[in-house]
Amino acid sequence: MRLLRLHLHALGAALERIAAQPVASLFSILVLGAAIALPVVAAVVLQSAMATGAGFDTEPHVSVYLSLDASAEDAKRVEQAIRGEPDVMAVTYVPRAQALAELQASTHLAEVLAALDTNPLPDAFTVRMRSTDPASLAKVRTAWAALPKVDQVAADFEWSERLARWARLGEHLVGGAGLLLAAAVVFIVAHLVRLQVLTRREEIEVSQLIGATSADVRRPFLYHGALQGLLAGALAVALAAAFAAWARHELLALTPNYAAELKVVFLRPAESALLVAATGLLGLLAAWGAVSHQLRRFARDR
Amino acid sequence: MIRFSAAAKRYPGGLEALRGVTLEIADGEMVAITGHSGAGKSTLLKLAAGIESATSGTVLVQGQNLGALGESALAILRRRVGFVFQEHRLLFDRNAFENVALPLHISGFSRHEAARRVRAALDKVGLLGREKAMPVALSGGEQQRLCIARAIVNRPMMLIADEPTGNLDADYAGAIVDLFMSFHQVGVTVLLSTHDEASLGRLRCRRVTLAGGTMVEEGGA
Repeated sequence: MRLLRLHLHALGAALERIAAQPVASLFSILVLGAAIALPVVAAVVLQSAMATGAGFDTEPHVSVYLSLDASAEDAKRVEQAIRGEPDVMAVTYVPRAQALAELQASTHLAEVLAALDTNPLPDAFTVRMRSTDPASLAKVRTAWAALPKVDQVAADFEWSERLARWARLGEHLVGGAGLLLAAAVVFIVAHLVRLQVLTRREEIEVSQLIGATSADVRRPFLYHGALQGLLAGALAVALAAAFAAWARHELLALTPNYAAELKVVFLRPAESALLVAATGLLGLLAAWGAVSHQLRRFARDR
Repeated sequence: MIRFSAAAKRYPGGLEALRGVTLEIADGEMVAITGHSGAGKSTLLKLAAGIESATSGTVLVQGQNLGALGESALAILRRRVGFVFQEHRLLFDRNAFENVALPLHISGFSRHEAARRVRAALDKVGLLGREKAMPVALSGGEQQRLCIARAIVNRPMMLIADEPTGNLDADYAGAIVDLFMSFHQVGVTVLLSTHDEASLGRLRCRRVTLAGGTMVEEGGA
């Protein structure tokens, strides 16, 4: 009960300190919130880009398209030739009817495709390769293009691989920016708490003289730091949510035909809560460091 | 009981404020520490309150060796000691009520109980009705009484006062001395320092005289 009262008193004192300087508190929370919002917005953009590109195959594969007049026997012969290549890992046959059905289902061209008299798509093989070595790929590409009834051989996975690499780079950049801005949050909160401690030096020293332990002295400052972190984290989530809503609206307006493919993915509620909790924890740790450092200095000065 | 055994204090820089003082103060006793400025009176009181630590010798309070206690244990011990500082150490951005309530907040008292105790302490020192007054609006004597109210609000086992009548006129000083006598009469151990002869004449208790950090005289009232 006593401990609960001490914590409630410390929380009340921290709220009083924030309320006592409303403009300064608001500005510091705005600065912190904007700093935290930057990597969150970047993460939203990256997540959205990855969700949009999730349908893209990034595994190394080669597509072998047969000519429109190829028969089932021709397709079998081509398949045997493909499977004879040692670098081949798996072969999937995609009949032209299946290809048309998939195209109709996955794009906005369904009406156009339905209006056609005949299926314009060829039978095809999707070949998964063990190697991405350009020289060996060029060799099999030439060999398979020379097979009878083979119309075209496409090894166009390089761009998707590049996309995956960009996505990985983006993740690292967002992670790095997040770490840098988390450090900035720690420094800003630590600085604000340090100023609070300095302005309350007399109160701290008197409190220690009449029986306050270091924990008693630290407690309201820890609540102050944690509250600033929590409020800044909540503001950052709100700013990022506003950005996501705006981006979704703009994408819909700009590209209505691709609305199904282009996605704006925001944080899940649990992720948002985790972010706010993490910023609260950062604020608390920053306050802990700042108060402990100042208390050591006060003790040295005595 | 407070027991100093060959207690000495040397400050950084070499100042030897106290040299091998041996002294016992029984529970419920009142002792006046006298001596000129720089005699070591304040240092002795701070050692008894656990505010300073002895550089050699021991200080025992209620059987606890203060030199062996950690920072937190010392802080908790200080809650049971009411200390009236020579320079008051009031918080000038807090009103009288908030200044007196500070030890109770540290000890985790409920608001209701704290308010009750603060009013009782202010009543005891004659400041009831001045709860909202800021320290700057109080006279020197009232500030001293406010400091005493803060020292007694936690119902301490021991009351220590460092020159509580310093800078006060004779009437105020007399009233403050009477206040300490009243605490002693209800069983509180009182240890106070003064070099004011008028106050000493009013005190009916054991006197310990310090000079140059050593005990030079001890006697009854």
